[in-house]
Amino acid sequence: MRTGRRLKSLQARLLAPLLGLLTVVWLGAAVMIWFDASHELDELLDGHLAQAAALLVMQQANPHAHDSAQDAPSLQKYPPSLHKYASDVVFQVFHEGRLVLSSTNAGTVPISRKEQGFSTVRLADDDQWRVFATRGAEHDVQVYVGEQTESRDSILLAVLQWVLLPLVIALPLLALVGWWAVRQGLAPLRHLSRVLAQRRPQAMEPLVVPDLSTEMVPVVQALNGLFERIEQMLVSERRFTADAAHELRTPIAAIRAQAQVALGAGHDAAQRDHALQFTLAGCDRATHLVEQLLTLARLEAAPASAADAVARVDLSALARRVAADLAPTALARGQTLQLEAPTACRVAGDEALIGVLVRNLVDNALRYSPNQAQVWVSVAMESGQAVLRVQDSGAGMTEPEMARLGERFYRVLGSDQPGSGLGWSIVKRIATVFGAQVQVSRSERLGGLAVTVRWPR
Amino acid sequence: MKILLAEDDSMLGDGLRAGLRQLGFQVDWVRDGVAAERELACGDYAAAVLDLGLPLKDGIDVLQAVRASKITTPVLVLTARDAVPDRIRGLDLGADDYVVKPVDLHELGARLRSLVRRAHGQMQDVLRCGAVLLEPSARRVSLNDEPVALSTREFDLLHVLMLNADRVLSREQLEQQLYSWGYEVESNAIEVHIHHLRRKLQPDLIQTVRGIGYTVQRGSAPASAST
Repeated sequence: MRTGRRLKSLQARLLAPLLGLLTVVWLGAAVMIWFDASHELDELLDGHLAQAAALLVMQQANPHAHDSAQDAPSLQKYPPSLHKYASDVVFQVFHEGRLVLSSTNAGTVPISRKEQGFSTVRLADDDQWRVFATRGAEHDVQVYVGEQTESRDSILLAVLQWVLLPLVIALPLLALVGWWAVRQGLAPLRHLSRVLAQRRPQAMEPLVVPDLSTEMVPVVQALNGLFERIEQMLVSERRFTADAAHELRTPIAAIRAQAQVALGAGHDAAQRDHALQFTLAGCDRATHLVEQLLTLARLEAAPASAADAVARVDLSALARRVAADLAPTALARGQTLQLEAPTACRVAGDEALIGVLVRNLVDNALRYSPNQAQVWVSVAMESGQAVLRVQDSGAGMTEPEMARLGERFYRVLGSDQPGSGLGWSIVKRIATVFGAQVQVSRSERLGGLAVTVRWPR
Repeated sequence: MKILLAEDDSMLGDGLRAGLRQLGFQVDWVRDGVAAERELACGDYAAAVLDLGLPLKDGIDVLQAVRASKITTPVLVLTARDAVPDRIRGLDLGADDYVVKPVDLHELGARLRSLVRRAHGQMQDVLRCGAVLLEPSARRVSLNDEPVALSTREFDLLHVLMLNADRVLSREQLEQQLYSWGYEVESNAIEVHIHHLRRKLQPDLIQTVRGIGYTVQRGSAPASAST
């Protein structure tokens, strides 16, 4: 993986660029200083050379100013070492081609071939010298003043040394301080990881980490938010399991009671038959409940993004199939089941799931409507939206009852039908998965309940 | 023994009613909390089986209201809510027993008998008045250790009288306790049953208190030779 090649340690990632940048900046500064200082130094020292040369020219042009001046100037050698730095300086004064004055370390030949201006030459001592040459106004005096370039370099080096030395000392120091600071800064992270490692898996109370750095606050907040969401999920799971077990108890109790009645019926064949019929009906009811529970559990396990990759389902064809499946049940109770789905109506969704939704709605309408009731199913396009409507001529619902629909296991009071109370949860869940909206209202056509499912365009 | 059954589930209610009838109970069945409270307030029940998840009024609220109005009918709570806090709450609010669904019918019957017995201050299952011994669980009556065959009504009548020994019960009270709904009680039915009991057991076992009703004396009716 790419990230594997990158620096994994936060410290290294922080310190490497920091120290690198510092070094580059510092070295850049040193180079700038080098150039600037050497330029300034050259200007200054060249100025001195020129001035010294000018002095020598003037002195030679006015020989009478000297006490020791004679008509015929003769070669004078300056004492070899006026100062220990004197060896770094050289000068020659020629008068009408004759060497009249020179430093001890200067030869008799002009030290530079250039008669005017600056030049850099290599003398007999094999050192480099910076030489300034000039002539007097009457061209009879030629003066050369030189200075060893090495001395310039040593000044520069001395300057640079004090620029670079702190860098050499500071870099390791900075690295150390940075490492320590980062380590200190990351201490809450290590503490957090210890706390997390020791946490019981079922612990859902929010994390409390003292002395949290500002950067860590969002992490802990996000974690606490996650814990809260997980807890809500767990609570709802637990409640669901408890509710499911609870709801299974009643049909099982009924089956047991009826079976015992059948056993105890003795010679009362009518009572035994009745009890056995009820035992079977109880089994059917428990089966229905378990099936609904499993459907719901599967739905809840399915990610809500199941809608991302879905096929188009013909709602009309689906409604026709469901109606055909449930027609015998309706007929048995003398109910009229009517379908109005003239055109194909495609919606996004999984065929099996949408089938469960339609079946639950129609089944509910039939189940909770009295014998001889009418149930009307219609599929139509309304302003670009696919709309499924299931209406019945049953008793309908009051407002508070409508509001409580979809609560798991909520069953309308007084309904004798063996419903599971889960149908609505399933319908709502499937609708949510595919982004459809479910509305419950009073049926204007049949007077009972009307359920409208609207798919997005 | 007449029992009030409050259960909203039609299949379970039907099964419990049939099963308890097989065990010799008279059963009145109501399907919601409001009816349960009304019946407990005015009916004469030996005990009640109360589901908690009742429509219109929750079983717990019914229990609270009934106990608040000083009705002491023993109540057995039969529910799917099995959490310990639920049980504690039910018992604390005045339930005499708490049973989680599903329940064995025979166990339910035994618990109901036990509730009724305790409500009448009896420690043992068998009731004795002199030479007459009545075993509610076996629905058996014996005189001087000789079994006596009684009809269901006769047994129930004797049971009620012996449970309420030393107390005078009116004919209406006896009818209330003996007949569940839907039975047309003939005006002289109780007299006829009393007559039969006197004939089958002892003539002086059940005494008539003129203008008030009937009573059985616990210590009375010394053993005597049967007819």
